[in-house]
Amino acid sequence: MLAVQVLINALVLGCLYACIAIGFSLVWGVLNVINLIHGSFIVLGAYLAWGAYQWLGISPWYALVIAAPLFFAFGYLLQRLLLNRVISAPVLVTLTLTFGLDLILNNAMIYYFKADYRKLTLSPPTGSISLFDVVVPVDRLIATASALALTGLLYLLLRRSKVGRAIVAVRLDRDAAVLMGVDVKSIYAIAFGLGAALAGCAGVLMALIFPISPLTSSAYLGKAFVVCVLGGLGSVSGALAGGLLLALVEGIGSTLIGPAHATTLSFVLLIIFLVVRPQGLLGRKGFE
Amino acid sequence: MVQSRLARYARISGSLLLAVAGLAVSASLASAEDVIRFGAPLPITGPLAPEAVKQQQGYDLWAEQANKAGGITIGGKKYKVEIVYADYQSNTPRAVQTTEQMITQDNVNFLFGAFGSGAAKAASTISEKYKVPTLAATASSSQVYDQGYKYLFGTFTPNDTLTTPLTQIIKAKAPEVKKVAILARNDLFPLAIAQEMEKSAKANGIEVTYFEKYAINTLDHSATLSQIKSLAPQWIFVTGYTNDLLLIRKQMVDQQMRASVVTMIAGPAYQEFIEAAGQSAENISSASWWHPAEQYAGKDIFGQTSNFVKLFRAKYNSDPDYGQASAALCGALFQLAIEKAGSLDREKVRDELAKMDVVTFFGPVKFGANGQINSLEPPVFQIQNAKPVVLFPDAIKQGEFKLGVN
Amino acid sequence: MTRVNLALLILIACVASLPLFGGAYALRVGTIACMYAIFALSWNIVGGFAGYPSFATAAFFGFGAYATGILLNKGVPLSVAVIGSLVMCFLLAAALGTVLLRLRGHYFAIASLSLVEVFRELVNNATDLTGGGMGLNIPLASGSGILADATFFFYAMWALLLITAVVVMIVSASKLGFGLNCIRQNETASNMVGLNSTLYKSVAFGLSACFVGAAGGIYAAWVHYIDPSDVFDILYSVKPIVMALMGGLGSPLGVVCGAFVYLGLEEVVWRNYIQIHSGVLGVLIIMLLLFLPHGLISLRSGMFWRKAKHV
Repeated sequence: MLAVQVLINALVLGCLYACIAIGFSLVWGVLNVINLIHGSFIVLGAYLAWGAYQWLGISPWYALVIAAPLFFAFGYLLQRLLLNRVISAPVLVTLTLTFGLDLILNNAMIYYFKADYRKLTLSPPTGSISLFDVVVPVDRLIATASALALTGLLYLLLRRSKVGRAIVAVRLDRDAAVLMGVDVKSIYAIAFGLGAALAGCAGVLMALIFPISPLTSSAYLGKAFVVCVLGGLGSVSGALAGGLLLALVEGIGSTLIGPAHATTLSFVLLIIFLVVRPQGLLGRKGFE
Repeated sequence: MVQSRLARYARISGSLLLAVAGLAVSASLASAEDVIRFGAPLPITGPLAPEAVKQQQGYDLWAEQANKAGGITIGGKKYKVEIVYADYQSNTPRAVQTTEQMITQDNVNFLFGAFGSGAAKAASTISEKYKVPTLAATASSSQVYDQGYKYLFGTFTPNDTLTTPLTQIIKAKAPEVKKVAILARNDLFPLAIAQEMEKSAKANGIEVTYFEKYAINTLDHSATLSQIKSLAPQWIFVTGYTNDLLLIRKQMVDQQMRASVVTMIAGPAYQEFIEAAGQSAENISSASWWHPAEQYAGKDIFGQTSNFVKLFRAKYNSDPDYGQASAALCGALFQLAIEKAGSLDREKVRDELAKMDVVTFFGPVKFGANGQINSLEPPVFQIQNAKPVVLFPDAIKQGEFKLGVN
Repeated sequence: MTRVNLALLILIACVASLPLFGGAYALRVGTIACMYAIFALSWNIVGGFAGYPSFATAAFFGFGAYATGILLNKGVPLSVAVIGSLVMCFLLAAALGTVLLRLRGHYFAIASLSLVEVFRELVNNATDLTGGGMGLNIPLASGSGILADATFFFYAMWALLLITAVVVMIVSASKLGFGLNCIRQNETASNMVGLNSTLYKSVAFGLSACFVGAAGGIYAAWVHYIDPSDVFDILYSVKPIVMALMGGLGSPLGVVCGAFVYLGLEEVVWRNYIQIHSGVLGVLIIMLLLFLPHGLISLRSGMFWRKAKHV
């Protein structure tokens, strides 16, 4: 049945969207910085996975393990050395700064990797499962499962570990956190590093499903934006909710009014949410 | 107070003058008398960068061959060929600006058109105003040539020359095809050709059950494809650029979509597509403006089509596709026109181009009144066993149409 | 008329003499310079005066371009079409402003950014009216020679720049400007003292859009062919911000200088660093933000006739 197929597609896609957005949401929620480099991080992660598979024969699952600390370090340093200087500056400055950084990163990627689209094709190909007329590709399922695992991991990290609790504290009330003895500067850097690591891992997963090229970074960033606004900033559950909502709207919209309008619909939805319910579906309740 | 204000004015006007001076002063390039300069504005950066690489390969191959033979001969004297490249960042307004810059600052004698129908059309206004003959290597939409310009010529035949033979072959070989679903990228060329397909289908009694456009940066087509699958058309026709088509093909396989005929334009013409799509490229049909299997005995510098393919392979280690071939063709056509005109006078060269009626490695070349070529018979082909097999025209037919795409 | 405003007018007057120094290509660049200056000045109304970081410039530029293009295709004369776009943009922006300007900071920035996407997709899908992804052809306004054409469009853009500058000056000296200043500093307090901030903000947003729309109209007539990805390009929203930051937020003279300097840099970088020009642009932006956060104007300490404020 078409409706069920569309629904299942949307559910699977929604988790992927959530995976893309979770790092972005974290950085925005904790540092109050809209990280425009996020899309490029994802693409870089995808290249890492592709390169590892192509030249070293490393399966993407292992690439995940390599990507996480690499990107964490990259993000940590970036924040510590560069972004920290403008952390208390107005919205405009941080947005434009990350825009400038993104220009550099994107240009570097185009220069070194060329804009050609690459594809990570697992061999042997994983095929699709078919159940009662509904078809789901296996690689998406696996990527979705991994995405959920990642977000679950983040959730645990934020809930159980000391660093995680400190991040949540800074997110809830920066000044109170300072009073409690939290080293905010270092927390900011850790949170940004975490956001970058999540983006890199998301990129590795995306490499399985979508073509890889620096030109797709704005598409990922756009999705991350919408998911964050729809679902609510800074929370894992928010990202999931936002991702699912976006995927559903796109899928149903596509079927009813055609794919061309589906993109418009998602942005109109964004604006409506911003005006009517800026805190998103699940609001600002810290990490739960 | 006055001093610092003067300083401020000085600084302001200084920076303004600096800015303007940097722009207005033409980089006077040494104009060696024995050189003919061809301007090639290309989208070297930005989303269309991969296409620019192909165009550049074509132009460079021609320049190299021409210079190897000593250059272009005018009145007994040999002139070297120089191609001036500039990047318009895949941005149409920049393409216009680059074209003007090449004419006024870089002093090019002739121009190659910008990539694609949109940019070529926009930039053609400039070349028309300055009366510089321009050969557009990749502009197929007839809308590019509808402004009545005299200095613009194009080496791709109109879009319907691709869809009409294709439809007729399908009708003949696969009479059970009654319904077609068309999915087009919302962009000048892919949408234009999809519209031609719609017309073609209707004219041949095939019902168009689905016609939708997808936005340019679409990552996921699963909803769209699910819908097409539920309509169960026998023919699926998709347009877009290589990455879009690869993505759509993969998602079609994911959803286990099957059809008698799957046509994609313009990916399958490229080697990258076939390699990246692997098994899923089997039996996909397509059409393009040229194919390496063609056998023309050209009067241009490349001569036989096979010779062109051989030279291309030697230089670039891969087989040429129609984009690179068209670019090289434009160079070769300029060479023919200049030699025939016996001068670098733009009017004369323009007239020679308009009169041209010659067989080249690309095919017979004759331009219509609007400047677009109308003498080609674009090949229809299908990927069989990971190789493109030509189905039409009969003169170069290599195989038969195979039904069924999984 | 303050000294600053006088300086701005003199600067604009100097620009008018460009045709004496350069040919058609220089005029082309000059036209773009004027266009950038219009963007920067317009953005400054809502971003610098009112303190709302708007990313909607591209949305109205594209809207104006298409509005004029469609009108021209219907046979309407150029001046009427441009004025029509101006009025339409003003009304549209003011109306949207009442809704969007309720948001602050990041949220407003994103909402205005989404406007660009929404407008682009709407235009992309209205294929019958706008040509959709295939672009819109605009008839040649005149069949005259290259230089005459270039000069005509240069002066058209320049005239628009002059009008924009004059309006901006009037606004900054008027009650509206004062009100916007108050809103930027503390909107809640302004509301409390009876200032109708919604009205003021909407008018400001409308003003920031109308000249950009008119510039879009002139641009469309100038290039003869527009398509959605060209005119609804996010960069048209980001560049005015960079120009304003470069020149000094809040100061009309500053932003215009910022616009000219930015264009000069862009041209130099584009010509010399073909492969990595956007990377170089990125480096420039970062340098600017780290080392010159208050813009060029601040290079002269003690000349704060208008303090560049934080947004």
